[in-house]
Amino acid sequence: MIRLSRRELLRAALAAGASGLAACGRGEQHSSVSEDWTPGEPLPWRNWSGSERCVPARRIAPASESELRALLRGGDFALRPAGSGHSFSGLVTSDGALVFLDALSGVISTDPAARSADVWTGTRLWRLGPALAALGQALPNLPDIDYQTLGGALATSTHGSGAELGSLSSRVTALSLATPDGELLECDASRNAEVFHAARASLGALGVVTRVRLANRAAFRLVERSRFVELETLLANLAHERDTNRHFEFYAFPHADTALAIATNETEEATRASGDDDPEAILLLRTLFRWTRALPGVGMRLYDAFLRSQPASERSGESYAVLAHPRTVRFNEMEYTVPAEAGPECLRAVLGEIRARDLPVCFPIECRFVRQDDVWLSMFHERAGFSISIHQFQDEDWRPYFAAIEPIFWKFEGRPHWGKLHSLDAARLAPLYTRWTDFQRVRRSLDPRGRLVNAHLAQIFGT
Amino acid sequence: MPRILWKSARATAQLTCALVCLAAACGRGDDLKPATPTQLAPALASTYQSVCAACHARAGTGAPFAGNDADWSQRRAQGADALLEHTVNGYRGMPPLGGCGRCSEADLRALVAYLAGVAEGAR
Repeated sequence: MIRLSRRELLRAALAAGASGLAACGRGEQHSSVSEDWTPGEPLPWRNWSGSERCVPARRIAPASESELRALLRGGDFALRPAGSGHSFSGLVTSDGALVFLDALSGVISTDPAARSADVWTGTRLWRLGPALAALGQALPNLPDIDYQTLGGALATSTHGSGAELGSLSSRVTALSLATPDGELLECDASRNAEVFHAARASLGALGVVTRVRLANRAAFRLVERSRFVELETLLANLAHERDTNRHFEFYAFPHADTALAIATNETEEATRASGDDDPEAILLLRTLFRWTRALPGVGMRLYDAFLRSQPASERSGESYAVLAHPRTVRFNEMEYTVPAEAGPECLRAVLGEIRARDLPVCFPIECRFVRQDDVWLSMFHERAGFSISIHQFQDEDWRPYFAAIEPIFWKFEGRPHWGKLHSLDAARLAPLYTRWTDFQRVRRSLDPRGRLVNAHLAQIFGT
Repeated sequence: MPRILWKSARATAQLTCALVCLAAACGRGDDLKPATPTQLAPALASTYQSVCAACHARAGTGAPFAGNDADWSQRRAQGADALLEHTVNGYRGMPPLGGCGRCSEADLRALVAYLAGVAEGAR
């Protein structure tokens, strides 16, 4: 997400004479919630952005793996694993039971020699980093948001950025799966191998993954350097940036010729920061965009100049602290992963469509590299990926914007992020995954009555 | 019990007089003054640590800080029900249910009371 400093952005705006901006403060994010709960009503479940809602018949929060298995054996009810609710798509919604593994949290054991750790999947990512660091270990990579549970992140093949770094799912070397019938399957590359390959990114459709073994590395420190650059210059040098940095990602700004390039590498430096990591600066960017857009002829040039005037910044610290960022401005998101080599062309098409339609959107577009893997329903299965994420503020309608852009991703054989918004169904998804049929076979064998299939999964799986 | 609770207790005691005045000025009654810190049941203390603390005890998120009475005094004046509605529906940066999907209404009321320093059971 954008790392603009509110202070620096204000300074640039004031220097340019847009003093009225200062009077706007930080801007506001208003709720677009239309079905607000009031005390006395049944308590709904809602996702992080507020786009998904249901009133489950039961909330199940087992205190132990054995209690979970007993609950699953106890009835033929519909259920969905819920994670932290950070997914934007309808993965969780159910009028049956929602299963929460909050009580199954933390590191179970470690193998210092192998640098691996067995971890409960109810563990929130923001707590996993420090817990592993205390044991001298770290995940090689993390997503830039860390509110998710480990189980939810794995179910959706959640990822960070780095051409040589795979998704979180690719770091799982063994797992335990509580099936809908309450059995506990121990799985790895040699035991229940097909279930293992399917369950590392399962969409929560095979049962409840209770614990995983993570292939980690020694704890390490990172320095993140961010700078604003001219987009086409960056794209011309993209292969170099990708190959010479441990992590490289960038944000492209709709209606501007500027990008924010972020290179992150290992360091021995002490923890330090220059420039704020201000999660609410994005609101000020929106205000700035609206003001400059209203100026005919020169507005977008001013906007671009404002962005280009932003100073570079650095942050360093423990890997988990540098890779993740606070996200306090809520949004909805669509992300597709296209073949790595097609990334720049696809991005240009997205930006071109925004300009051609004059879409009033300013949320920066996030672009990341991810290494290919062998996880059946991973977006990176047998294909190195370039992930393009478009966002809309939570208090604005995402549908027209996402509907305009989504067909571009299809032209590039894009695979949608399972936890993010998309409109594909089984007929469109199946050709994108060589092991699609195998996954469905494993799913039907574990859940023949479709207890785990909600409306969203019914569309995805064609059931 | 999380250590931050005791910090909250001291801060709350220091600001009690000012907040009583604020509550009176708003005409909302005595149940809105800072409470004796709510004791969280062990399961909820764990929820606080794994969910609420992600923002309310982490610098840089902009969320009102657990135990910082200055962050809570004006919010408390809105009443416990308003804080609960914000929690369930989501409010600005705070996600719906405060990020605790498994929580019941009673759980959320207890967590709000703990974080904001309102008397448990207040409306």
